[in-house]
Amino acid sequence: MHDIEQELSNVSAGSTGPSSDALLRPLLESNIGFAILAMTPSGIVTVWNAGAERLLGYRETEIVGKSVDLIFTPEDRAAGVPQAERNTALANGRAADERWHVRRDGSRFWADGVLLPLANREAGFIKIVQDLTERQITQQRLKESEELFRLLATNIPQLVFRTKPTGERTWGSPQWEIFTGRSVRTSTGMGWLEAVHPDDRELTVMKWLEAQRTGEYYVEHRIQRFDDGEYRWHQTRAKPIGDGEAAEDWVGTSTDVHDMRRLREAQEVLVAELQHRTRNLLAIVQSIERRTLRASKSLEEFGTEFEGRLSALGRVQGMLSRTSHVSVDLRELILAELEAHGEGIENRDHVTIEGPPIALPPASAQTLALALHELTTNALKYGALTYADGKLSITWKTEPDKRQLVLLWCERGIQLSLGRPERRGYGLELIERALPYQFHAETEVEFAADGLKCRISAQLPAEDSMDG
Amino acid sequence: MGSAVSQSLAGRLILLVEDEYVVAIDLAQSLEQLGAVIVGPAGSVEDALALIMAGPPIDAALLDVNLGSERVYPVADVLQARGVPYVFTTSYGNWIIPTPHSSAPWCEKPVNIAHLVRILSSLPTAAKGA
Repeated sequence: MHDIEQELSNVSAGSTGPSSDALLRPLLESNIGFAILAMTPSGIVTVWNAGAERLLGYRETEIVGKSVDLIFTPEDRAAGVPQAERNTALANGRAADERWHVRRDGSRFWADGVLLPLANREAGFIKIVQDLTERQITQQRLKESEELFRLLATNIPQLVFRTKPTGERTWGSPQWEIFTGRSVRTSTGMGWLEAVHPDDRELTVMKWLEAQRTGEYYVEHRIQRFDDGEYRWHQTRAKPIGDGEAAEDWVGTSTDVHDMRRLREAQEVLVAELQHRTRNLLAIVQSIERRTLRASKSLEEFGTEFEGRLSALGRVQGMLSRTSHVSVDLRELILAELEAHGEGIENRDHVTIEGPPIALPPASAQTLALALHELTTNALKYGALTYADGKLSITWKTEPDKRQLVLLWCERGIQLSLGRPERRGYGLELIERALPYQFHAETEVEFAADGLKCRISAQLPAEDSMDG
Repeated sequence: MGSAVSQSLAGRLILLVEDEYVVAIDLAQSLEQLGAVIVGPAGSVEDALALIMAGPPIDAALLDVNLGSERVYPVADVLQARGVPYVFTTSYGNWIIPTPHSSAPWCEKPVNIAHLVRILSSLPTAAKGA
């Protein structure tokens, strides 16, 4: 714009009239990007170039001889702007012409123009006009998009930054300052690295070298929180703005993924634990199966026995899963076993169940459930529950320190003339050997004349140290 | 399992460490049927170490990695020092076994007896009296 203004001034300086037209013409023709027009001192158009036709819509033949006021808005005309502009140009040697202009079709555009008096004041003026609407819209959009960026960058929970492709920061969002307690000033350049965990700094910097090659930055690292000094895991990403070649301006974010990472780790532990429990349970099932197989005289016997044991194991597993494998209530365990055999609370005449609430750790509950199953099965087959006046009482208490459990299984009202059975049942083996082996329980079994008596005394773990 | 396999375990003293009684007794009986002599079973590190110190020199050991709230590795350390070969049983997979013992053979739970016997038979002979 200024170059043309200069050239036109040079041409017009020497001109005294139409004779300069020969010089002016090529200049006008070659600058069709601009509307260039000449006018008399009173504003009658004398020259109208192709650029003017393109921009304003009037053909040269249409407008030459008419007032230039046509291209001003009605408001400006009413306010006497065209004349004021000419007066300014005469007084100052030029007048800026930045205002809305009107095309032939009535549409408006934002013009960036200048009005120059010709050296020969009698010859009038030259006006150069450029359409700035596009540029203005672009600038407006840029401004809006920068405002949008600021708004987003300063209101999302992520820590936002602008950086060079080398990782040298040029700007950090207020969230960065709040989270790290480090000002934008101390964080610019590579200052931000101070907030990264010392063990993660090498990787963090190395990734910037990689980013220059790949055009994308990504790292997971720990950033120190100012409030409590905790290093929290963040996912940091950055990309160049636009897709220009070798873009110098990158934008990045750091997202706090600390809790997500903790959850993921906890989940991995849980999955491993689940795998462990499942395999352990299968190992127990396998052992019970082999044990039952060795002791069975027929396939029918095996089927009945194994099924019963599997059900008992299933019941205690069900209870454990309901309490997230923390503990099982002793009373619930006993009731479930008896009810599975059609005995239990509704059978008060025969059965007494009494004792305080006891939380059994999972492993003890499992073995105890198997033992109780065998005892119940035996009581139903040969013991108290086969006799009309037989009685079964299951009672327990805790010793003063609450950590010692004493459980009594007591059958009465039967004639046990045969004494101790010749074949040691699995139930007795579990009580006499498994409970002492696994829980250092002390157990006593007595085959009294009126029925089986069994005493189990075991140490309960402190509640916070229960471990399956 | 043919008699050739049983032969290889005949008379061999095998320390069994497993905290779950039901599983321990079953493994003991299964190996005894094949001629092995079981030392134990022990359900804790303490009991296992006591058996190693007190008993006759053992030929091999079967170690359950997870013994309730503790891990079996102190037992493995002692066996390694004495040149006694050992096999782990684990319900976690072998990733849980730490470096000094990670090259030891291992068996997944539930244990396949035939597979276990193959591993036990292929173990090098213990340096007795070490």
